Amino acid sequence: MSKPDQPAAGARISIVERRLALAEVSVRRGKEAALAAAARNAFGAEPPEPGHALLQGAVTTVWIRPGGWLITEPQTTEGALASRLERALSGLAAIVDQSHGKACLRIAGSAAREMLAKGCRVDLHPRAFGPGRAAVTPVAHIHAVLVQIDAAPTFDVIAGSTLAESLYDWLAASAAEYGFRRIRSE
Amino acid sequence: MSETWRAPAGGRIDRSRTVSFSFDGRTYRGHPGDTLASALMANGQRLLGRSFKYHRPRGLYTAGPEEPNALVELRSGARREPNVPATMIELFDGLDARSQNRWPSLGLDIGAVNGLVARFLPAGFYYKTFMWPPTFWEKVYEPIIRRAAGLGRPAASPDPDHYEHMHAHCDVLVVGSGPAGLAATRAAGASGARAILADHDFELGGGLLAEPAHEAWRAAMLGALAAMPEVRLLPRTSVFGYYEGNVLGALERVSDHLPMPPAHAVRQRYWVIRAREVVLATGAYERLIAFPENDQPGVMLASAALTYARRFAVRPGSRAVLYANNDMAYATLAALREAGIGIAGVVDPRTTSPAAEAARRAGIDVLARAEVVGVTGARAVEGVRVRRADAPQPVTLDADLLCVSGGHNPAVQLASMTRARPTWDEALAAFVPGIPVQNERSAGAARGVFGIAAAAADGLRAGSEAAARAGFKAAAAFAVPEAGPGTETRVHPLWQVRAPGKAFVDLQHDATADDIRLAHWEGYAHVEHAKRYTTHAMATDQGKIGGLVGAAVLAEARGEAVEKVGLPTFRPYVHGITWGAIAGREVGRHFKHVRRTPLHPWHEQAGAVFLETGLWLRPLYYTKSAETGWEPILREARAVRERVGLCDVSTLGKIDVQGPDAAAFLDRLYTNTFSMLPVGRARYGLMLREDGIVLDDGTTSRIGPERFLMTTTTARAADVLEHMEKCHQTVWPELDVQFCSVTDHWAQMSVAGPKARAVLAGCVTGLDLANAAFPFMAVGEGAIGTAPVRLYRVSFSGELAYEVATPARFAGDVWSAILEAGKPHGIVPYGLEALGLLRIEKGHVAGPELNGQTTARDLGLEKMLKRRGDYIGRVLAERPGLNDPDRPRLVGIRALSGDFERRLRGGAHIVARAGATESLGWVTSVTRSVELDRWIGLAMVRGGAARAGERLVASYPLEGEEVEVEITSPHHVDPENARVKA
Repeated sequence: MSKPDQPAAGARISIVERRLALAEVSVRRGKEAALAAAARNAFGAEPPEPGHALLQGAVTTVWIRPGGWLITEPQTTEGALASRLERALSGLAAIVDQSHGKACLRIAGSAAREMLAKGCRVDLHPRAFGPGRAAVTPVAHIHAVLVQIDAAPTFDVIAGSTLAESLYDWLAASAAEYGFRRIRSE
Repeated sequence: MSETWRAPAGGRIDRSRTVSFSFDGRTYRGHPGDTLASALMANGQRLLGRSFKYHRPRGLYTAGPEEPNALVELRSGARREPNVPATMIELFDGLDARSQNRWPSLGLDIGAVNGLVARFLPAGFYYKTFMWPPTFWEKVYEPIIRRAAGLGRPAASPDPDHYEHMHAHCDVLVVGSGPAGLAATRAAGASGARAILADHDFELGGGLLAEPAHEAWRAAMLGALAAMPEVRLLPRTSVFGYYEGNVLGALERVSDHLPMPPAHAVRQRYWVIRAREVVLATGAYERLIAFPENDQPGVMLASAALTYARRFAVRPGSRAVLYANNDMAYATLAALREAGIGIAGVVDPRTTSPAAEAARRAGIDVLARAEVVGVTGARAVEGVRVRRADAPQPVTLDADLLCVSGGHNPAVQLASMTRARPTWDEALAAFVPGIPVQNERSAGAARGVFGIAAAAADGLRAGSEAAARAGFKAAAAFAVPEAGPGTETRVHPLWQVRAPGKAFVDLQHDATADDIRLAHWEGYAHVEHAKRYTTHAMATDQGKIGGLVGAAVLAEARGEAVEKVGLPTFRPYVHGITWGAIAGREVGRHFKHVRRTPLHPWHEQAGAVFLETGLWLRPLYYTKSAETGWEPILREARAVRERVGLCDVSTLGKIDVQGPDAAAFLDRLYTNTFSMLPVGRARYGLMLREDGIVLDDGTTSRIGPERFLMTTTTARAADVLEHMEKCHQTVWPELDVQFCSVTDHWAQMSVAGPKARAVLAGCVTGLDLANAAFPFMAVGEGAIGTAPVRLYRVSFSGELAYEVATPARFAGDVWSAILEAGKPHGIVPYGLEALGLLRIEKGHVAGPELNGQTTARDLGLEKMLKRRGDYIGRVLAERPGLNDPDRPRLVGIRALSGDFERRLRGGAHIVARAGATESLGWVTSVTRSVELDRWIGLAMVRGGAARAGERLVASYPLEGEEVEVEITSPHHVDPENARVKA
C-alpha cells in the first residue's frame, strides 16, 4: 500500500473532512403527503425522489431509503438542525440527530470518478450520474451515502463516524497515484 | 549470445534500442517490441522448459496466451511469479526469468527418467498406484506427489507490489483488437456509445500485427479510436470470465512490463466490467495434430511461425516443413520465405487444394495424401518423417522447423460461459459460438469468419448492432480493408496420426492420445470424466490448442462424431490470473476495515493493549510497565469491586426507536413487556429468534412517550437491526414505528464501583443522582462540563454503576472529566478483560452463553417470558425438545482449590469424577476471580441448578487437565442484587 502522506505530485484529487450537522428523517406511517407539504412550506422544496439529493445552498437532503432522508448542513449549535426539523415536521416524521454518528468526506478533482471506481460499483459517468444524484452503496465495502455535489466533479461520501478513519485510509491509498491534497476540516 | 536468428529487417521491434535480459542466469539482448519468447528465439534458445510429467524437452509452440510449453518464472525474490507464458511477457531492460520443472538444469534434467518408465505412468497413475497400503498416503505418497507436482515456484515472501480492483461500465465492450475488434469498437464509438476495447497484447491489432500490408488501416483505426472521448482502450488486458448480468472480469497488467511499478502505481488491476452489450472478437486458436513426437522443440503451430517471422522478424528455424490440413495455414510459407527460411516441403493429407496448387507453382514440394509419423533429432527437430498413402516406407525430410496446423478453433470460451451452447461447424470442423443467451455476439474469426477483410466487415456489423441494441444510432461509416483473392477455409478433419510413439493432445499436462483411449477403456467415456481422469485440458492453457483434438480421439474410441462428444464446460479463467489481483487492496492492514471508538486516541496514549472484535478495536487492558500476565486485569477488576472504574462501552449497538407503535413493536420483539415501562426508566430485555433460540439481550430505555433507545450486544448490533427491519417490513408493516442505528452517534462509558455515585456527583450537573431520585434502572439527562450527557443506571459488573452516554465528539472531554472527578476516589480505566471477569463473577450471560443454541430456560431467564401477548419465537420455543428437562442449563462453577496453576478452560467438559468420559455439559466462560480468589466460571450442565453443591470435574482432555469444581448459582457475587441498588 502506498504511503498516503506522500502522494504523487500535482494533486488531481482533494479530500476534505467536513464538519456537518446531520439528521435522519423517517416519515410516519401514512404521512408522506403531509410531510411533503410541510417540507415545501418550511424549506421551500419537497424531499427528493429515490436516487436523488436536493442541494439547497449549504443544506443537502438525500434520499436514503423508502420514506427516509438524510439532511446535512454545516455544523452550528449542538442539536440545532434536529430541533429545527422536530419543530417543522412534528408528528409527521421521526427525527434522529446523527451529527456525531456520520462522517462526511468531500472528494473533488478530475480523477475523482476513476478513484471512486476502485471501490464503488455505481456508474458515475455524467450520462448516468450527476449533480443532485445520490446512491446508498458500499464504498470500499463500507456502507455509505454517495452524493454528487457539482460537475467538477465533487462528491460527498457519508459513512459511519467510527469507520471514517479506515475509509480515509482507503481513499488516500486509492488516490495516491493521482496526487491528492488532504484538508483536515472545512 | 547474439541475435543470430533475427532477420536483418522488418518486424515491429525497435531496432534503434537494445534491451538486456537474463534467462537461467545467462544474459541476452533483444529489442523493445519483443516478447521474452521472440527475444529468446532470436538468440537461438530453442529449449525453454521441461514437460510436467515426463520432463521432456520443450520449446515454443505458439506466439500467444495459449502457449503450453514455454512457462517461466518471471522476476526473482518477493516478485517472483511462476508459470508465466514467455509469449505473454513484454520484454524490458533487466528482465530476469528462469525455466521451470527441471533439476539440476534445463539441459540435464534428472526427472527425464520418468520418460523411460513412461509405460508405468499412464493416465490415472496416481489413483491406481497410491491406494495401498492406506497408511502410506500421508507419510510416503503425498510428499512424493507434492514434490513432483506443480511447475514453477511462487514467491516465498510477501509481494511488495500493490493490486487493485476497478469497476467499469460501458454500452459496448469489445474483447479482442484484431480487424473485427477494431471495426466493432469504431462502429460503436462513432455512434456515441461508451465503449471499451480490451486486448491481452501490449500492442492493439491482433492478427494485423503480423500483416504489414494492412498497417496503414490499423494505424488509422487506432487514431480514430484515440480521438473518441467515450472510447477506452485497454491493452495488456485479458478478459478472463463472462458472468451473469453481462458482467465480465478482466486483468490489466499495468506494470508487468516494467522491472518495478512506478511510485503509487499498481502491478495489476482487476476489472469488473458491466457492459450493456458485448462484442467477442477473440479470434481463433490454431490447433495441433496428434502425431508421434509432436512436442519436440522445433515443432510449432503454423500461425506462430508466421507471427515470429512477420511481427518479430525472427527466424524460428532455417529449413521448414509445413504439415497442414487446410489452406489458411499455407500463408505461413510466404512469411517464412520472406524471412529467408528454406521450405523443405508441405505435408498435406488432402489430394489437392487451391493453396497446394499455388505452392507448387511457387516451386514448393507438396506431398499430398501424406502424414507426419514422427521427427528425428534427440532434443530438437532435425528431420521430419513423412508417410505417403501410396508408399508404405516413410521418408525423412531434412528440416529443423515443423509448422503444424490442424485447423482453427474459434475462441468460444467467453461466449460459452454465458451458457450459449457452442454449435458444430462442419466446414471448419470446429465449434462456433451458439445462439446468444446474454447481450453478446461474436465477430470475425471468433465465429469462424476468417481473413482480414471479412473479419473487419463482420466487426463493423457486430459493433453497429451492439450500439443499436444499446440505444445508439449508427453514424458515419468507415472503410474496411478490401477483400483480396479468397482463401478456402474448409478444413479436412485430421486429429491424429496412428504410428508408434507419444502423440500429445495436451502438451502442458503430458496427456497423449493413448491416455485418452485408456480413459475410455477404463470407463471414463464422458468428455468431462476423461478430462478429469487424464487431466487433459486442465492445465493453465485450458486445452486451447489440443482440447478438441483430445475430444476427437475420445469420439473415435466411442465410435461417435466429435460434435456428439463435445468439449468440457468452459469456466473462468480463460487465462491464468494472479492471486494478488484477486485479493486487490484487501491485504495486510487493509484486509478488513477497522472501527475505532471515539475514545481510541485516549486508549492508545494510555498504553491499551487492543483486541479485534469484529471490525472493532477494543482496549483489552491498560498496562503498566512492570505488570505481567493477569496482573493488569486483576488490578483493574479489583479497583471496580473496591473503589471505581471507567470503561469504554461505545461499541454497544444502539438503536433509536420512535413512533406511536414503538412500544407495541418492542413488546413483540422482546419476550418481556416494554409498553408499561415509564419514561425515564430502563429495562433488561431478551429477544428470541423465530425458532425460539435466544437472539440477543440488552437494556432498552424509554426516553419519551413514543421514543426508546435500545442497546444490543456489540457482536449482534447489525443482526438485531436487520431482524427489526425484516419484522417491520414483512410481518408488521402496519405498525407506525421508525428506527435507525445511532451506535456511532453516542459514545458510552461505564462508571462502576462503590464510589461511582460519588465520582459522578463530582462532575455531572443538572441531574440529582441521590439513590431515591435516580434509582437502579433510572435514565436521565444532564451535562458534564459543556457536554450533554445521558445517564443510565445499569450494571454489567454487579456493582453500583452508571453508563454515561454523550455525542461522540464530546467523548474525550467527558472521559477526562470523569477521570479527574474520580482521582480522589482512586478511579482506574478498565478494559475488556476486566469487564469479562466482572460479568462472569456476577453471572451475566454474554456471547459464549448466547451461542445460537441456548433457550431462555437454558439460561435461567424463563421469568422473562411473558405469559400474555405474542412475541417472536414464542411458539417454537415451546417445542418439546427445547423444554426437555435434561437439557444443559446455566450454572456457576468454582474450582475447589485456590491454586491458580490448576486452571479452568472454556470448552472443558463437566464429568462426574476424574477419568469419567460421559459429558454432563461444558464450560462456557472462565476467569480468575478477584472476589473468590480462585478460578470460577459459567457452564451449561445437565440438571442445572438442581446440582448446586455437587462436586464435579472440569475435564480438558486436549491438555490432560482435570480440575475439581463445585456447582453453584451463576451469580458468584451479590446474588441478592444489593450492590447495584445501593
